[in-house]
Amino acid sequence: MTEPWMIAGAWLAAGLTIFLFSFLYRDNPFFKIAEHLYLGAGMGWWFQVYMFNIWKPKVWEPLMAHQWGVIIPAVLGLSLVTQFIPKISWLSRYGFTFLMGYGAGLAVPAGLSTDFMNQIAGTIRPFSALASMTPFAIFNSLLIALGVVCVLFYFFFSVEHKGSVKKVSNVGIYFLMVYFGAAFGNTVMARFSLLYGRFDDLASFSSRGSFYATQIILAVMVLYFLVTGFTKKPQQGEEEAH
Amino acid sequence: MKFIKKHIPLLIVLVVGVLTLASYYVPNKYSVDYLELMNKWENIVSAFAFLLGLISLFYSHYNKIKRKTDGWGYSLFVYVGFLAMVVPALMNGGRQMVDGQVTSLGWSFRYIYNALSATMFAVLAFYIVSTAYRSFRIKSAQAFVLFVAAFILILGKVPLGQIIWDSVLGWTHTGIDQVIEWIMSVPAVAGKRGIMIGIAIGAVVTSLKIIFGIERQYMGRD
Repeated sequence: MTEPWMIAGAWLAAGLTIFLFSFLYRDNPFFKIAEHLYLGAGMGWWFQVYMFNIWKPKVWEPLMAHQWGVIIPAVLGLSLVTQFIPKISWLSRYGFTFLMGYGAGLAVPAGLSTDFMNQIAGTIRPFSALASMTPFAIFNSLLIALGVVCVLFYFFFSVEHKGSVKKVSNVGIYFLMVYFGAAFGNTVMARFSLLYGRFDDLASFSSRGSFYATQIILAVMVLYFLVTGFTKKPQQGEEEAH
Repeated sequence: MKFIKKHIPLLIVLVVGVLTLASYYVPNKYSVDYLELMNKWENIVSAFAFLLGLISLFYSHYNKIKRKTDGWGYSLFVYVGFLAMVVPALMNGGRQMVDGQVTSLGWSFRYIYNALSATMFAVLAFYIVSTAYRSFRIKSAQAFVLFVAAFILILGKVPLGQIIWDSVLGWTHTGIDQVIEWIMSVPAVAGKRGIMIGIAIGAVVTSLKIIFGIERQYMGRD
């Protein structure tokens, strides 16, 4: 890619970024354009990923090499598209049932070993090494075990939650709240790191080398909002409110 | 006809599900080969499932343009965005870099797709904060615990928060990073494990119901 292409890219990326951010002020046509473009670009990206990673190497090339076995998954896959033809849409069941059967077959061992047995093992295992653990580590292990039991009580609906069961499940809620709070905090920080990244890009697009793309596009957007703000006729609802 | 429409699909679920399940617990050459083959097949079928979504999206926007419904002009940009990624991909065989040079696909990815997707998720930061402001009204002890955990996590990951922590609670000789590590590896783990065990039980039961044809909502109507 040559220099002019990089400058064009800077203008495009700065524009699209500012268009999407403009929604924070209010809905506008520029945001909608960027939103629809994102939808199309996302689909386009995944289309080419599937094309060059699945359809070409795993379907087309084997077929060209007379490996006819791939016809089976290809036909199952194509059967999904019959959803759009009501008369034969039942054919799509063949593809769906294959996906469901394979997914369900995999989910049982994965669920049992990773999410069920490993979690229980991880809770119990520290107690086999108590002698070599510090008092604080023992406290932590006990706290985890207590927390897991209390949370499980909270999700156990086969008995009515009253009396001691209610008390135990209430303790479980506190552990759940800590987890939700921690997960929320992490999500917020992940989003903010993306935000810093966008601001960083906007800052780099504001350089002389990019012909001040960020500043110019930002100024145009502000001008647009000023002009539309002054010239826009109030909506019927707004008139009534005033 | 009922046999072809209903019974064969259910048989496919049963056979594929049981064989996949058994292959995991019966490790031998045949089961390994079977899992490898099924994994390949699943990739292919899933790729066609994507096609289902793509056609549906295109059809919906085509109808908007055809009927000239409100905002139909925006629908054109769906196709523009799609072509902006697919045409360069076809030109470069799906490669973003050739001989250390960024291809047109790499250019499209960096300046269109990446800029759009990163910004779209970055915008969510503002909405998350706004939601947090409304939802973090501390009305109960449990809400307070949730707030404290989130607050410490957020505070501890920015330099300003670390400075505040050190100046206020520096006398404890415990850094905020250590507190975060403890929260993430002890009480949060307890909460997460309870949820994961619950999810695992639910997933296993639902999977067995699907394999044995008890759960068949995915089959749609007759």
